[in-house]
Amino acid sequence: MTADQVKRAADAIAAEGTLVAPKVPTGLRRVPGGVDALATEHLVVNMGPQHPSTHGVLHILLELDGEEIIAAEASLGYLHRGIEKLAEHRRYHQIGTLLDRADYVSGFHTEWAYSMAVERLAEIEVPARAEWIRALMSELNRIASHLLWLGTFGMDTGAMGPFLYIMRDREALLDIFETVSGARMMFNYVRPGGVVMDFPLQAEPLIRAFLDTWDGYLDEYHDLLTGNEIFRPRVKGIGVIPRSTAVAFGMTGACLRGSGLPWDLRKTRPYGPYAELDFEVPLGTTGDNWDRYMVRMEEMRWAARLARQLLDGLPEGDFTAKVPKVLRPPAGEVYAAVESPRGELGVHILSDGSDVPYRLRLRSPALFNLSVVDEVLPGSLIADAVVTVGSLDIVLGEIDR
Amino acid sequence: MYGLGILKGMRVSWRNLMRGPITVQYPDERLTLPERARWAVIPLMNDDGAPRCTACMNCVRACPDGILDLSFVTREDKTKHIDTFRYEVGACMMCGLCVESCPFDALAMGHDYELATTDTACLTSTLLADVDAASPKRERTAGDAAEKGGDDA
Repeated sequence: MTADQVKRAADAIAAEGTLVAPKVPTGLRRVPGGVDALATEHLVVNMGPQHPSTHGVLHILLELDGEEIIAAEASLGYLHRGIEKLAEHRRYHQIGTLLDRADYVSGFHTEWAYSMAVERLAEIEVPARAEWIRALMSELNRIASHLLWLGTFGMDTGAMGPFLYIMRDREALLDIFETVSGARMMFNYVRPGGVVMDFPLQAEPLIRAFLDTWDGYLDEYHDLLTGNEIFRPRVKGIGVIPRSTAVAFGMTGACLRGSGLPWDLRKTRPYGPYAELDFEVPLGTTGDNWDRYMVRMEEMRWAARLARQLLDGLPEGDFTAKVPKVLRPPAGEVYAAVESPRGELGVHILSDGSDVPYRLRLRSPALFNLSVVDEVLPGSLIADAVVTVGSLDIVLGEIDR
Repeated sequence: MYGLGILKGMRVSWRNLMRGPITVQYPDERLTLPERARWAVIPLMNDDGAPRCTACMNCVRACPDGILDLSFVTREDKTKHIDTFRYEVGACMMCGLCVESCPFDALAMGHDYELATTDTACLTSTLLADVDAASPKRERTAGDAAEKGGDDA
């Protein structure tokens, strides 16, 4: 930079006036009105997309007054892969591989929702055994998904220990998934018409061994977190989402039930074998982080009981219906939804009668649950914002798609 | 009593300390994979070492990513000669759709999971090269005969 350029730049700054010119630091004694007149500027902070407690690549813009949040805005799209558009160029049996990668923590649910939509569109009758296998794997997947949430939620509140134990116990579930489907995350197991391979014999002892130890594990997590004097004040009464707000934002799943609304698709619109099963839907009262935490903890207990019922009552028969190799459902429109660990996960397919969908859209529960941060975060502290966002159990792969 | 929750947590930590590790010392010790575990695709051969592949192209069409590349020539007597059957393992997501689509059991998902490499050329592998494809007809009759034999026994 030449001296001339420096002078011009300095002149430009001076002409702009107070906007650009740096503020002269003033000592307290020099402020005419005392401490009260010390107006602090609001600071805009980018939380994420590389922040470890945003569970992926979430970017939240926070406007801060000191430690207090004045306004919050979630900015999305860092994990956008165009799954819905890609699905328009994949034949029906190939789309499951894409949807596994949408909600990568609970692949069985996404696959089930998609398969259910295709089955309704093509009017395929699914054998009972296939439905029960799907439900069994989904319930185990619900536990695995909630365990991942629990571990990271503990870390959000500052507890590192539970995460290690939880990941260790989750390993048993991933082994079960690998035995049944062949993969630990990207299952590609539930297909339109049924499941791709029959439930293997060697998986049953694995599942029973897990279920036998499961209640003990859950009690350990309660000992580690629920009763902890550091954990409780971090979650109780923080991040309250009133029932009306939850409904207005279209929230579903544990976030909605934490606010006290008994809405669970397995109960309200039973699909698969859920109408024949005996289970309860845990509910919260106030809708704070504690309620969402307790609802998920109880859901894990019920998911294990459901898994035991499903394993005991697994009917004999075919594991898949007869489905043509190249599926061409008739032209039409269909929507099917399942209760995923995050809420109502729906798949909307528009078919023009060809072998690829004309349009496929995912109703992502985590996106709706996340949208509430603009409303809930203002007024809380940054440290509480981390916990509140953690309690929503977001999966960015599903939000951005 | 304040602090009781923390003491309970420490008891859990102590109990877990006694439980011992579940990890294994990986390169020296290996866990066995479940039978259905899906890793890189491998071609299957007949007992005489000839490939079971009939170059029917079903797998190539089934692959969602289009990473299988099978080039062959059809001779005058309708038999096929496979020039190359290339497979881009670096782009494979191990979904197993190619193996499912194969009507001749000529492909399988292998159990080799140590696929990391420092050479980009290794990200593409050649499954078959310069071999005669199996005849779909002969294959089928041989399989049927074996099944019948099994039933009789």
